[in-house]
Amino acid sequence: MVKAGQTFITGLTALALSLVFCFTSYAMPDVITMDQLADLYDGVVFDHETHTMMTEGCAVCHHHTLGGPVFNDYCAKCHDGSEEVATVACSDCHSKERITAGSMRLAELESPFHDDLPDLKGAYHLSCLGCHQEMGAPVGCTDCHSKTEAGNKYYNSGQFAPTGSQH
Amino acid sequence: MKNLIKSGVKPHDATMRADGKKWTFMEKMLLGLSLDQYIQQALRNKFNWLLALIFAIGIPLIIYRFIFGLGAVTHSSYDYPWGLLLGFGLFCMVPLSASGFMMGTAVELFGRHDFAPIERLALLNGLLGYFFAVVFLLVDLGQPWRLPYPMVYSFGPAAVLFLVGWHVATYLSVQVAEVSTAFFEWIGFKRGYEFIRKGTIGLTVSGIILSTLHQGALGALFVYAPGKVHPLWYSSAFQWIHFFVSSIPAGLCMVICVSTIVYHTMKWRCDDRFISNLDRITIALAKGAAMGLITYFFIKFLAVAHDNEWAYLATGWGLWWLAEIGFGVVLALAVLSFGIHNNNANICRIGAFITVFGILLNRLNTALITFNWNLYQEIPHVFEVIITITIFFIYIATYRFILNRLPILYQFKARADGQ
Amino acid sequence: MSKITRRRFLAGGVAGGAAIAMAPGKKVFAANLDGFPNGMGVLVDMTRCVGCRTCEAACNKEQNLPEPEKPFDDASVFDEGYHGHEQRRTTEGAYTVVNRYDVPGSEPVYRKIQCNHCNEPACLTSCFVNAYKKTPEGAVIYDDKVCVGCRNCMIACPFNIPAYSYSSAFNPIIKKCIFCYDTRLKQGHIPACVESCPQQVMVFGKRKDLLKIAHDRIRKHPGKYVDHVYGEHEVGGTSWLYLSSVPFEQAGFNVTLQKEPIINNVKDFLAIVPMVLAIWPALFTGFHLLATKGKKHGDDHSHDQQEGHES
Repeated sequence: MVKAGQTFITGLTALALSLVFCFTSYAMPDVITMDQLADLYDGVVFDHETHTMMTEGCAVCHHHTLGGPVFNDYCAKCHDGSEEVATVACSDCHSKERITAGSMRLAELESPFHDDLPDLKGAYHLSCLGCHQEMGAPVGCTDCHSKTEAGNKYYNSGQFAPTGSQH
Repeated sequence: MKNLIKSGVKPHDATMRADGKKWTFMEKMLLGLSLDQYIQQALRNKFNWLLALIFAIGIPLIIYRFIFGLGAVTHSSYDYPWGLLLGFGLFCMVPLSASGFMMGTAVELFGRHDFAPIERLALLNGLLGYFFAVVFLLVDLGQPWRLPYPMVYSFGPAAVLFLVGWHVATYLSVQVAEVSTAFFEWIGFKRGYEFIRKGTIGLTVSGIILSTLHQGALGALFVYAPGKVHPLWYSSAFQWIHFFVSSIPAGLCMVICVSTIVYHTMKWRCDDRFISNLDRITIALAKGAAMGLITYFFIKFLAVAHDNEWAYLATGWGLWWLAEIGFGVVLALAVLSFGIHNNNANICRIGAFITVFGILLNRLNTALITFNWNLYQEIPHVFEVIITITIFFIYIATYRFILNRLPILYQFKARADGQ
Repeated sequence: MSKITRRRFLAGGVAGGAAIAMAPGKKVFAANLDGFPNGMGVLVDMTRCVGCRTCEAACNKEQNLPEPEKPFDDASVFDEGYHGHEQRRTTEGAYTVVNRYDVPGSEPVYRKIQCNHCNEPACLTSCFVNAYKKTPEGAVIYDDKVCVGCRNCMIACPFNIPAYSYSSAFNPIIKKCIFCYDTRLKQGHIPACVESCPQQVMVFGKRKDLLKIAHDRIRKHPGKYVDHVYGEHEVGGTSWLYLSSVPFEQAGFNVTLQKEPIINNVKDFLAIVPMVLAIWPALFTGFHLLATKGKKHGDDHSHDQQEGHES
């Protein structure tokens, strides 16, 4: 935890540089509502602005699609110094359909290095939760999005909690 | 019964009564006593009171099990799917019943007619042991009414249990046929008796085939569980030979034990031929058992060497394994050998009891005690223990009921002696 | 009737034998099968699992399992211990469970447990009514209409997966994960647990593709994974495969399992069976003839003597 906290603070101190870089180059939305997959949970109202201030740079989430320095070693092999691309939303590259070995084979035919991309649900959670874990930020499911009634029914929680579950 | 015989009552033991009339079925059932006499002797027998007590508790529990399911009488363990009911009921009862094919083979195939006085006891011991192993199985199976499925409806011939099922079923029929000679004598169905006698060799040979296979198959059942059965009790190459070979001393010693108990508790039912031959036969059986035990002792170590499991001997489980071998095999062997050497049947009898306990320990170790040795130890539910004891006492009661009546311990006479 | 001389008969025999020997030509039949070539499987990447138990909820709804004791978002189940130390396992009411394993010097790891759908399932080979079936799609399913309740499959399963509905008095049966065979796999759909996972811990697909993906991940991320795909070889291979960042034994896996299918251990004995059936009758009848040769059969034979008595 202490270590995570340190990383968090380091992230904050790295803020200024990245801010300057991002604000000068792009028209950046302040808040993004991510609700394309909302079902058991409501969509996430994502405070884009705050998050950009906390991270090392846009490429932490946007990989290489905004141009500029690339942080992920794997991506950097090809894309260090790549141009900005037309669209930058997660769902532009990460499929809303669940990825299978079959779809990965098809992806491999197009690009042998993009075969193991997560799908949209995976990308959201792996990216957000992965960082939250590292930074010591909240990691509970309902810390980011609240459970819907369908979700409570699904998880047998809330008003659908099993009776006598309090042992 | 002793008192009655002292007072001059003669139990039923012949085709015809002393006066030349045939016995009625009712008279046969009452051992030739009057109803009053029968009830009185039954009430005098303290063992009957013990049986009544056990049945009074146990039989309602068995009914309870069938109404409320296995979950009500066992711990419903997913990790120990086979509890005491099978661990004792199937895996212990079957080896102790190997006597049937052993004595059948000795007497009928090898022409050792000097064992004949005890042949029928050995056959009956086999039949009842198997029958009650099936009873235990029926109580333990989730859906016992589906037991015939592997026979007629849905076959899984690659499974070892399929072999066990088929062999136990066919062997039970063989044993019923073998023991039926005594029954046919008793009810006076002479043609049936002769018909079966003609097929004796065939029955005996099929008996030894089926016994070899399913005694071994019971061992092979555990070969499915490498890692669950402790390596010292597990041997994919030798497991079936271990179970088969150890069933030989187990069956022989069980006959010695039963004959000893019978001699002390039901002497009135034994005829002179049985009593006068018993010591000689006991020692001869002990010799056979000792040979079996020596073989077993060697192949147990052979298996440890084969899989190079010596290191396990230095662990706690290893000590337990050595204790089992030390008590059940080495000590048993020493006592049996001492008895044989000194021609002392009573010492052989002690050896026989030790052997039987040793085999029980081995089977319980394999099926229950060392099973899941790296998980946790399962203590059977108290109801499961009571049910097991109850069924075992039903077995004893049935055993006694038959010994009392059929010409097992005595030879049927053409006509009863005069009073 | 044609006359066949001994020579012609022999010649014919040799020719026939030669023909049989030559006929298959170069065709060699495989001694080992690696399961169905297009069997499906699931790759579980434990480095991604955060223990949210969504897959447990998904399974519960998909298979119409009974209401759980605690909500599926309750993390206290990870601290429950059974028999002193045992963690949760699959039961008649839960075909999959996620457990937490505390790893010294690192974050805890979570492991999803369900039927691994072996290539050569021990449960299947131990079943004496042939209730189990390995489908070409890769699922190990069972027919509860024929289950007698001997529970041999529970003894045989090296992963302790099949559970039994002990609570039922009149229709107790085996209960385990069937890879959503009836509702999904048969139509080529993704199993419920795989579909539900927010962290995309699981990838569904052909087992042979999954193996490649698994080894690719190990190769592409040096230091992240232990260089082993659990299930590639264990007990003859399983349809479900696991990747882990910690040694598998620290995540509760049984790493002592053999590489061969369990049935191979039993084959020694099964081979004995026809031998005993074929050899014993002649052998023991022979013994009988030797042992009783010269003796009049039935001599000193009590029961027969007594028969003489009667007549």
